[in-house]
Amino acid sequence: MEHGAAMPAREGPQVDERTIEACRQGDEEAFRLLFERYKDRVYSIAVYHFHGNESDANDVTQQIFLKLLTTIGQFRGDAEFTTWLYRLVVNACIDEQRKRRRFLPLGETTQVPKATNRTLQEKHFARGEIADSVRTAITELKPKLRLPILLKYIEGLSYEEIANVLSCSKGTVASRLNRGHKALAKRLAYLRDQVV
Amino acid sequence: MVSNHVIRQLSAYGHGELTPRESAEVGAHLMACSRCRSEFEEIKLGIKLAEQLPEISAPDSLWADLQLLRDAQARDRDDVILKPQSKKLNLWQPRFAAIAAGLLLIIGLGAFWFSRNQIRPSWEVARLDGTPTIGSSAISDKGRLGVGQWLETDSNSRAKIEVGSIGQVEVEPNTRLRLLQTQPTEHRLELAHGKMSARIWAPPRLFFVDTPSAVAADLGCAYTLEVDDQGGSLLRVTTGWVALQLKDRESMVPAGAACQTRPGIGPGTPYFEDASESFRTALAKLDFESGATDRSKTLESLLGDSRVRDTLTLWHLLARVEGVERAQVYGRMAELAPPPAGVTREGVLALNQQMLDTWKDNLESSWGDYSSPAMKALKKVWTSGLGRVHRLEGKR
Repeated sequence: MEHGAAMPAREGPQVDERTIEACRQGDEEAFRLLFERYKDRVYSIAVYHFHGNESDANDVTQQIFLKLLTTIGQFRGDAEFTTWLYRLVVNACIDEQRKRRRFLPLGETTQVPKATNRTLQEKHFARGEIADSVRTAITELKPKLRLPILLKYIEGLSYEEIANVLSCSKGTVASRLNRGHKALAKRLAYLRDQVV
Repeated sequence: MVSNHVIRQLSAYGHGELTPRESAEVGAHLMACSRCRSEFEEIKLGIKLAEQLPEISAPDSLWADLQLLRDAQARDRDDVILKPQSKKLNLWQPRFAAIAAGLLLIIGLGAFWFSRNQIRPSWEVARLDGTPTIGSSAISDKGRLGVGQWLETDSNSRAKIEVGSIGQVEVEPNTRLRLLQTQPTEHRLELAHGKMSARIWAPPRLFFVDTPSAVAADLGCAYTLEVDDQGGSLLRVTTGWVALQLKDRESMVPAGAACQTRPGIGPGTPYFEDASESFRTALAKLDFESGATDRSKTLESLLGDSRVRDTLTLWHLLARVEGVERAQVYGRMAELAPPPAGVTREGVLALNQQMLDTWKDNLESSWGDYSSPAMKALKKVWTSGLGRVHRLEGKR
């Protein structure tokens, strides 16, 4: 498994209405196409949400796609498919987080975020070092600041799309992103010369 | 007093999420408000950092794991949505191959349509003379310069570029330049050769021009920049300030001054264009002829020709010469404009940053006319951007 460099939003083949309709009809190949299209982004959100814990992220990603498979018949096309999908993702992450809190009363911050794969760092040390620091800093943000950042930078969603996914206003999204950006800048101020 | 701070809108401004009118209002406010400008620097850093966030590839085993989970669920419950396991799909059947081919065709056409029709960031270009080209297409009256595209003028053509909502660039004949990036947090051109004139009315450090031998960082100003066939360049500033940078070597160039750059060396020392011919010749020799045998004579000549205003050059030279030469430069500067209280000879010779900055602040009044309130306010905006120019501090 490799970490891809930060990629432009929405690269790769587009999943169109026919593909989604085929999924609703139970077309296995169409579902595989959907899975291939979104698996990395869904998985990325899960990894960052669960503090770099790939095992948890793997479990949640499977649950998300399983749920997608069983509920796609309910998708009526009155919203963007991506909005619908990422709402599933966000809800699954939050639900799982709640479940884990019940069993881990010390809370999420006791987990140490780990770099999960160092292949890229070995190849591109400087860039990998920055990415590693950013990854750690992101996982340490409060969930309500972290999710808008992930939806913006991993998924490339607009403020309006993020607001739809999180069921809040655009102003709230702007405010949370502002706070998230400032928290990152404060924590990683020492990287200023390398990124500006 | 500045009211209605725009701090809450800064991320949206940086992401281009505001309406053109809101964006213009925020930009204007940033010009006037140092507090919001400082906040914007932090937000921009946060955005740049978040942009480094890598996407993580899902493990190859994920699909197989998902299938196992589905199988287990199918065994336990009867509510599987897809076709029963007993009717597993044979993907090699002709009808499925046809469906797959059809899907691939649709995806391919969709990707082609998307790549042709998606909105790419671009700047408006107006033809001024002749037939400038964007890529291989000639511009009739107006065109758009997209990110990654080259704009070229021949010996008879000129063009004008609207730099988003923050300024204008005029492109002179025989010029080749490219748009590298345009975002609310950064606009960047590459000038391969030729000449351009820029007028920018944005907060400092939003507009950059890469040349083969330095990067010009705008600090709210007007200037011309010319790149020759060898990759050397000449910057001439008419309003405000421009910073020229290459790695650890930086020059800050105010209105009325110029600065040359050379490939492999970077920016030379800035000088006022009304300095004497002998002063400028000596400076070019010191900057770009490292093996010159008569270096001490050249420095003596330069110092002898220097005026109070030329402390701009001498102040930059302090960090570019060493030992006896630095002491000579200090001596001449002290004659022309004695250092203010708290700035000592020892401190300056040791390149104490605080003392150098204090002296610079004191000297700036002789580098330009900042007596009117408006010019004082603008100077504050310009110089507040100076110290924070990338790698400018602490490396002189």
